[in-house]
Amino acid sequence: MNDGAAIAGLGMTELGRVYGRSPRRLAADAVRAAADDAGLALGDLDGLLVSHGLGGSPGIELADTLGLRDLRLLTQMNSFGATAGAMLSYAAMSVLSGAATAVACVFADAPLKPKQSAGSAYHRDAPEWYGFGGMTAALGFRSVNAFYALAAQRHMAHYGTTSEQLGAIAVSTRAWASRNPLAQMRDPITLEDHQNSRWVAEPLHLLDCCLVSNGAIAVIVTGADRAADLARPPVHLWGWGQGHPGHRKAAGSAFGLVTGAATSGPIAMKMAGITTADVTQAQLYDCYTSTVLVSLEDYGFCGKGEGGPFAASGALGPGGALPTNTGGGQLSGYYMWGMTPVSEAVIQARGDGGDRQAASDVILVSGNGGILDHHATLILSPHPKGA
Amino acid sequence: MDIGILRRDGRTDGFFDAAARDRLAVRRCPDCTRGGDGVSGDVLLPPDATSCPDCGTEDLEWADASGDAVLVTWTVLHGRPKEDGSTPPPALLALVELAEGPWLHARLDGVTTADLREGLPLRARFVHPGEGESYPLFLPV
Repeated sequence: MNDGAAIAGLGMTELGRVYGRSPRRLAADAVRAAADDAGLALGDLDGLLVSHGLGGSPGIELADTLGLRDLRLLTQMNSFGATAGAMLSYAAMSVLSGAATAVACVFADAPLKPKQSAGSAYHRDAPEWYGFGGMTAALGFRSVNAFYALAAQRHMAHYGTTSEQLGAIAVSTRAWASRNPLAQMRDPITLEDHQNSRWVAEPLHLLDCCLVSNGAIAVIVTGADRAADLARPPVHLWGWGQGHPGHRKAAGSAFGLVTGAATSGPIAMKMAGITTADVTQAQLYDCYTSTVLVSLEDYGFCGKGEGGPFAASGALGPGGALPTNTGGGQLSGYYMWGMTPVSEAVIQARGDGGDRQAASDVILVSGNGGILDHHATLILSPHPKGA
Repeated sequence: MDIGILRRDGRTDGFFDAAARDRLAVRRCPDCTRGGDGVSGDVLLPPDATSCPDCGTEDLEWADASGDAVLVTWTVLHGRPKEDGSTPPPALLALVELAEGPWLHARLDGVTTADLREGLPLRARFVHPGEGESYPLFLPV
């Protein structure tokens, strides 16, 4: 017997340049697929947690879209890229407390439009700008790229991190993606390709930046005992944690140097009864290569400031000591915010990784939101906790 | 990158009024003073602060900052290639720390990337375009 919580189902729509379906429709399709995967009927769900991307939809009306009735748990959640981890931990706590028994967690977004570049989906432009925020955008802060570049540059200035070290993350992540049929970018790249890719916002090259994708991903969380009787092998939720440092925009701020992972990681690992030495693979939010680098430090896989040499050592790639972002992450796989690392963790925990399967006994999953403002960590395993 | 035309939105009139007279305005809490360490002084907040993080008041005052700052971190933002293949010139963007403490997202001018370093002394200089509101750029001292 085991009284924990587990992921019993995973549903993924087609991801990438998928047009013609609204985020709400994509979300509904993903929830149906996740229930099917678990061997559950939609009517077996009694909880639904919803997270949307830039489009602002879907919200809790998704329950109506799916025809779900008599739910015991229904809410929209938002901590940006940390939302997936927050949803799964809320679902686990709901199952453990008895508030609900089968909770679907779904993220959907469709920012890509036909005949439009991926970059423009996250870019503002206007002939006139309003107010102080408008002035900041007018001066050049028109997409999130510039803000992450400021963080990465600060890390470089403090610790000597180099573009080549960031490039090592791009290269190892693409090496994994080349083995994942679900990945959008599968052609292998070299460090030279990374260095030659155009600047987006120095020190970030194009190949330091993630993709933009349309689609939806859902998971079903149930009690571990129940999951063991369902269609697919359970993926046990050993631990979870969040960290929101609230760096003030003022003198003394650790912006760019320390993230919420320094808080969320120890909480989740303590709950799971593990240390970083027990982690056999990591699925880290990789909106930028630099996000991976600073997260590795804050989780304690290497010392503070040593993320660059650690990445350049080859530890993260196929055959490395800490297989990281084994599906190609958001850089090369697909960008479903925090559901990108969650979905690959479920695939790996089930042993469904095919050519990219890595040791999956203990998987650390990291979500990151805002400009390194919000972190959520999950510890997942194919084994029951404490077994 | 063209900056475009700036318009006020009713919430930051004090900032643009100050910019028009070549002053950099920040917010000041009317109630809180910095103390504790024996160094008393006003609690100054970024121009877009909507409340005091210490006491919670939303009735913030405007105060002129010195305009002096130091460089915290920076990026050279490269323009997005256009359909005709041309690329707009890059912009030098930064986080600057005002002498009074608050940080601002800012655009630098009159400096080359080779000169950029943490702590580089900067000062605000205001641009007064023919149409729209005035705005600050930060230049090396």
